[in-house]
Amino acid sequence: MKEKSEIRLVRTACPAHCGIDCCGILAHVKGDRVIKVEPGDFPDPKDRRICLRGLSSLEITYHPDRLKYPLKRVGERGEGKFERISWDEAFDTIANKFKEIANKYGWRAIGWVLGGPGAGTTKFGAYLRLASLTQSTRVSSWGYGDAGLPCGSRVLFGAHLPFTFFLPSLLPPSEPELVLVWGSNPAESQPLFMMRKIMDAKEKGAQLVVIDPRYTVTASKADEYLGIKPGTDAALALGLMHVLFNKGLQHDDFIRRYTNGPYLVRTDTGKFLRGKDLGEKEAEKYVVWDTVSNSPRTAAPTEVKSTLTGTYTINGVECKPSFQLLVDLAERYPPKKASEITGISAEFITKLAEKIGTVKTTAFVTHMGLARTYHGDISARAMGTVAAVTGNVNTSFGSGHLPAVLNWEPFLHTIPEKPSYHRLGILQLYDAVISGNPFPIKAVWFSFINFVNQCAHSGKIINEVFPNLEFIVTADMFMTPSARYADILLPACSYLEFSDFLPHPYPYVQLQQKVIEPLYESKSDVDIAAGLAKRLGFGEYFEGGEDGFVDLIMQHPSLSGITREKLKTQGAMNLPFIPDTGQKFDVQFSTPSGKIEIYAENLVEFGQALPVYLPPLESPVKLAGKKYPLAYIQGHSRFRTHSMFANVSPLLQMNPEPVVEINPIDAKKRKISNNDLVTVFNDRGHTTLRAKVTEGVRPGVVNITEGWWLEQFKEGSGNHLTHDVINPVHMFVYEPNMSMNDVAVEVVKYKEAKK
Amino acid sequence: MNKRLGLVIDQERCIGCEACTVACMIENNATAPWIQVETQNAAQKDTPSGRFPELRMDFLPRLCNHCSQPPCVDACPNEALVKREDGPVILDENKCDGCQACVPVCPYNIISYIPEKNLIEKCNLCVHRIDQGLEPFCVICCEGQAMHFGDLNDPKSEISKIIAEKETFQLKPDAGTNPSVYYCPPKPRKRI
Repeated sequence: MKEKSEIRLVRTACPAHCGIDCCGILAHVKGDRVIKVEPGDFPDPKDRRICLRGLSSLEITYHPDRLKYPLKRVGERGEGKFERISWDEAFDTIANKFKEIANKYGWRAIGWVLGGPGAGTTKFGAYLRLASLTQSTRVSSWGYGDAGLPCGSRVLFGAHLPFTFFLPSLLPPSEPELVLVWGSNPAESQPLFMMRKIMDAKEKGAQLVVIDPRYTVTASKADEYLGIKPGTDAALALGLMHVLFNKGLQHDDFIRRYTNGPYLVRTDTGKFLRGKDLGEKEAEKYVVWDTVSNSPRTAAPTEVKSTLTGTYTINGVECKPSFQLLVDLAERYPPKKASEITGISAEFITKLAEKIGTVKTTAFVTHMGLARTYHGDISARAMGTVAAVTGNVNTSFGSGHLPAVLNWEPFLHTIPEKPSYHRLGILQLYDAVISGNPFPIKAVWFSFINFVNQCAHSGKIINEVFPNLEFIVTADMFMTPSARYADILLPACSYLEFSDFLPHPYPYVQLQQKVIEPLYESKSDVDIAAGLAKRLGFGEYFEGGEDGFVDLIMQHPSLSGITREKLKTQGAMNLPFIPDTGQKFDVQFSTPSGKIEIYAENLVEFGQALPVYLPPLESPVKLAGKKYPLAYIQGHSRFRTHSMFANVSPLLQMNPEPVVEINPIDAKKRKISNNDLVTVFNDRGHTTLRAKVTEGVRPGVVNITEGWWLEQFKEGSGNHLTHDVINPVHMFVYEPNMSMNDVAVEVVKYKEAKK
Repeated sequence: MNKRLGLVIDQERCIGCEACTVACMIENNATAPWIQVETQNAAQKDTPSGRFPELRMDFLPRLCNHCSQPPCVDACPNEALVKREDGPVILDENKCDGCQACVPVCPYNIISYIPEKNLIEKCNLCVHRIDQGLEPFCVICCEGQAMHFGDLNDPKSEISKIIAEKETFQLKPDAGTNPSVYYCPPKPRKRI
């Protein structure tokens, strides 16, 4: 751009929390102001992209409502009355208050509630480092909707996320003949990374099937749309397996080699038969039934000659291969029964199963929404089990976690000989604050989270969680509904004002390069953590700043050859190879057997060793006779990334206010017309907003897209309706998940609402 | 032969996201959206037609068609609207007096009158970009990679190849305008 020599071009990347899209951004800078953003280059020009939010991101950076200075609360919590203070005063106040609380209750009583850092790493790492140095508590935010899929994936694949099937099956050299998008709407939530690949596959001839209670944009591209009842996915999976097994369409070799399907289970205890039960030296080894010798023996690393079916009596104990137990379970779900539960026709369940069982490759695509039900972990497992028994899991990915393997160790154990932080799931935070279980939390630090807006049961947060906290610090860009409850409120940078390392989108990594200096008195999260660390006596661990942390986090062999300097000039770079296991984070995973576990021995006590269908906790599966007859779910909107961009005016012009989507059948029963003000309510609370009467949502289901700010509703909010019930299996496997899509409500016209 | 610059928009790949609308408004500092994404046959935007679960929802991005025989150019008394030799129909704001003669003659109803400016606004195919060898901004910002730009008179161009290989249509062919914007219709569903 010679004729515009005053324009400086900087290649950075958008870390917004849309998951793995992570668009490259080319920022045009004039003087000290970014005047334009456009899609940045990628090694493969086809991967160049941006979305309507990324295009609007300057509206965030230069938003008139940006928090400009540190603030201290002067009114009541939530009232929104604050007074400007200096950074010194802010840091001193926080450090003194933290020390005071730590003296009274121990450092464990201070919780770092770190929400979704998006694709960002060092801003997250900085707070983890501070948490580990002070041995305070990290409150993990996977549980605000994103722990269900990991729970299921950990049990089945021993991996935090099932990249094993939903990623590689869409990438070359795979050319799926069938793409099954199950409980996800990538056209709006992951348009660039996921939806483009789905449409590419479709162009090459794949058929697309979409399973969703809503007729989404993704569904509009489908060859077949299945409008399932929310929370009944496991029943659909079992119905599909019923057909697959009855027609012998499962992939026996794959099941033998890569799953624990051949391992014999004692039918008396539900536990696996072990070497010791045969009197073998290898006491803990699994046992299979050998088809050549027709006798039991300990399992080989790769099973080829074992049986998958039948019943065997060994030393007087009845045993079955775990695959046979799965077959027995699926036998109870003929298509007719699966149809009654799911609302999908029996004929179609049969046809779909036959298709999955006969095509060469099926790509299974899902994300977090499917598992945002009380038993969503089982939904995810059940779907993954269909993929596993049909050989549609890419074993070369092993226990895939994040696409790039990062070096978290120096953040978890900054001083190697000292223990790391304590850990609590965000759904456990409620009780920790209110009643001190499992241990008391007295002060919290919120970063990249809009807690009261995005977490379940907002009324409980406002009335019970916040009042029981002695001290609240929030770092944010805006006076969000949650920021209003802070005692000290710190202005954070927008993405153009600091550097970070972004390990997305697969197979690339990118540098989020600082484009302009922080506006006003805002600071990056790394600098904020550093400022507090200094006052707590840990300043030396933050001296390298953002760049130092970027270098530190990249110190992993899987990123060899990639440096910060190279990323600066080359933009996105390809990962040198597909990473396998070895992800070092603060949680352990990998299955006990080292195989895909279609049978989970450690869940026998819960009655969930197999992916059994359990009805939703609240979502009504039958319409009649319920106090709250409508199933309430929260889809994603393309106009927001969770609650980000909800205050951006060009997007608000296109999509001005929250609406509840309701089917004409349900609207008619309640005399609700399109655009009417209605109240959605249950025992926990209510919200008032306009109705959008549309065929795009299943009868019996209502949807409010998540992320609207509290004050954008006429009354209440989407999460005034949700609940904070903990599933003990989630606790046992990983951490409890919020069941945003497992909620029962009623809807009435606004004027008729009882207040 | 002169160039005939134009677009092919593939409805099969359009996800109705309106990134084109946003991109265009930013790039051109537009007051009204020069590209509008219509949800076809729908009572309201972003909703399907039909009865659950037998539904359809298709998106049609509508913009100036950069017609080969543009009625707006003929209607403009001030020569503010010009058909360039390489195809784009562009507006010279300095010559536009806001008379709106062009507005009703556009068969595509895509010219906006902006009262506060007393001017009309419409898509100019990003001539400021294409004159630098760049593509229109909407094309590079299209999430679904549904938009393609090129020379319709060059049989080797990407868009000419798409037109040669795929089923395409122009809007209102009977209007006799010969649009330079072509659409690929959504593919028929392959039931399983």
